Amino acid sequence: MKVLKYIESLRKHLKPLRNVLVAYLIVLVIYDVIIHLGAHSHYFVDNIPGFWTMFGIVGCFVLIKVAKGIAHAFLSKDEDFYG
Amino acid sequence: MDKWLHPAVFYFIGSLLLPLIKNEKAKKFFILLIPILSILDVALMQEGVYGSYRFLNTTVIFGRVDKLSLVFAWVFVIMAFLGALYALHVKEDGHHIAGNFYIGSSLGVLFAGDYFTVFIFWEIMAFSSVFLVWYRKEQKSIDAGYRYLLVHVFGGLLFFTGMMLYYYKTGGLVFDKILPANAGLPEYLILAGFSLNAAVLPLHAWLPDAYPEATVEGAVLMCAFTTKTAVYVLARGFPGFEILAILGTAMTVYGVFYAVIENDMRRVLAYHIVSQVGYMVAGIGIGTELALNGACAHAFAHILYKALLFMGAGAVLYMTGTAKLSRLGGLYKYMPFTMIFYIVGAVSISGFPLFSGFVSKSMVVASAHEQGRLWLMAFMNLAGIGTFLSVGLKVTYFAFFSKDEAPIKAAEPPKNMLWAMGLTSALCFIIGVYPKALYVLLPFQVEYNPFTLPHFSEALQILSFTGLIFFLLVKKLVPEDKITLDVDYFYRKGGRAFMKLDEKVISVVDTFWGELYRTLGLKLLFKNADISYGFDRQAIDGVVDGGALSVRGIGGLAKKLQTGKIQSYIGFSIFIFILIVWFVIYGM
Repeated sequence: MKVLKYIESLRKHLKPLRNVLVAYLIVLVIYDVIIHLGAHSHYFVDNIPGFWTMFGIVGCFVLIKVAKGIAHAFLSKDEDFYG
Repeated sequence: MDKWLHPAVFYFIGSLLLPLIKNEKAKKFFILLIPILSILDVALMQEGVYGSYRFLNTTVIFGRVDKLSLVFAWVFVIMAFLGALYALHVKEDGHHIAGNFYIGSSLGVLFAGDYFTVFIFWEIMAFSSVFLVWYRKEQKSIDAGYRYLLVHVFGGLLFFTGMMLYYYKTGGLVFDKILPANAGLPEYLILAGFSLNAAVLPLHAWLPDAYPEATVEGAVLMCAFTTKTAVYVLARGFPGFEILAILGTAMTVYGVFYAVIENDMRRVLAYHIVSQVGYMVAGIGIGTELALNGACAHAFAHILYKALLFMGAGAVLYMTGTAKLSRLGGLYKYMPFTMIFYIVGAVSISGFPLFSGFVSKSMVVASAHEQGRLWLMAFMNLAGIGTFLSVGLKVTYFAFFSKDEAPIKAAEPPKNMLWAMGLTSALCFIIGVYPKALYVLLPFQVEYNPFTLPHFSEALQILSFTGLIFFLLVKKLVPEDKITLDVDYFYRKGGRAFMKLDEKVISVVDTFWGELYRTLGLKLLFKNADISYGFDRQAIDGVVDGGALSVRGIGGLAKKLQTGKIQSYIGFSIFIFILIVWFVIYGM
């Protein structure tokens, strides 16, 4: 199967793949700075270049920490909890 | 076409004819023919009001066709076809019949112009969809099905009470837009009944409780129709209700929060229904034209990609026997096509550019932005992070990768399942690159363009950096063999507490009362009986004998009905459904 071969070859080259993705992230932020030049809106979130980058990083981190924290504190139960 | 034919008719009549077809090929053809005919019917429909009758001092309307009902009807019949294709291998007629009644009655709700008609079809929906849970035939599913039914009966009662009070308040049952300023107890009761079906917090727990226990094929249908019918009635009756904007936004975050923790693939997806329906409910609550358009567009897109995700997860469950992420992994080797289709669903729900979520979800977010409601917008975007994190990354990674060798070997699912997934994927992509096809169906004129540079940048930044954090924290997210408590805890444990109370207290009182009755009451009764005996023997015997015979006859019939076989219960229920529908349509 061609699809499978393609996936396997990606898995064999994880390091270059990672480098490409990191480069992509950097380009993304630069791109956002560029489109913010000269653009003005009346909401503050629209005026900060890279705002959604920070939002993504902080939001994702907080979500994982809070969800897993509360789960371990009291929400998670064994599978036969309800009998 | 100036005559109007209710598309539900195909599903109801088709269900009756289905068991008569014995040839397997002919049966499969027929199962697909029903939705195809209904698609043609919807395509030929003209706007207008059809099928209105006088009944019980009010007017019942079966066919209100306008832009709002049509956009939902379109996606319902398309989904019916995809669902039928996905379920084509299912041998039990009863499963197809339950599905068809469910789809038919949800179409009934869409075109209903009065609360009474909505209510009738509303109840048929609940009672037919529960069979899609019960057909799994496992104890867990049977229990979950009963809970599902009880919760929906409760919701139906809220709706019914509200409807009756509404009748006394206004003297009619016309189902139309309610202004928040005019709403009192009746309107809020109806709103609560509708909200229960839309899984609005805190009335949502039935959904992640029941859907993961449904059959593989049934869950695909259920995730499309119940909540989206509720979204339709909310959009019709309650746009601009502030409480919906708040609760809807809360739903978006609440759903992803649980999805991050959950272990069962289909439960992760079920929590994402809560989350995604949250966007629609919030859009309805914001209530502007853009927001309502967004709610409808998102319902359309959501039905397709959510069904696609449930198809993918269902295929995994069908082939491996489990949907628990802790037991899965490495499936990319065995089910590459299933994986690709699942990923198309995952990037669609996450709102990646060029896929359907990007052009629909963003309308709701943009409407919050436009109204200056930045908090709502922030929480919706936070939910967007959680969506990609759990459906896109967590499930894909732990089900299809994470382990080099799969603990459970599997193969691709049957061809019909793959075709259904492929077609649905294509639709998600088409809507993503050519949103006009969807926008022309929306109730208001659309001046929204999703393809702007800032929007691309916003979506890509949020999603890409979520991906970065996922791979940094992936060890934290390893799924565990656990279940998660939700508000269903209160009625599941509460029900058990009541049983204990019954055992310990009520039954003791009952025994005592019985004893008292036996010693004291019976003596009096015997005395009384002696007196009446004389009269009885002479006069009444003749009459009673006749009556008793017929009662015994009915008793025998009832005994025969209780065979304990699920098939006969289904048959009997359907018979009752048909009687109800027949009375509703022709009984006036």
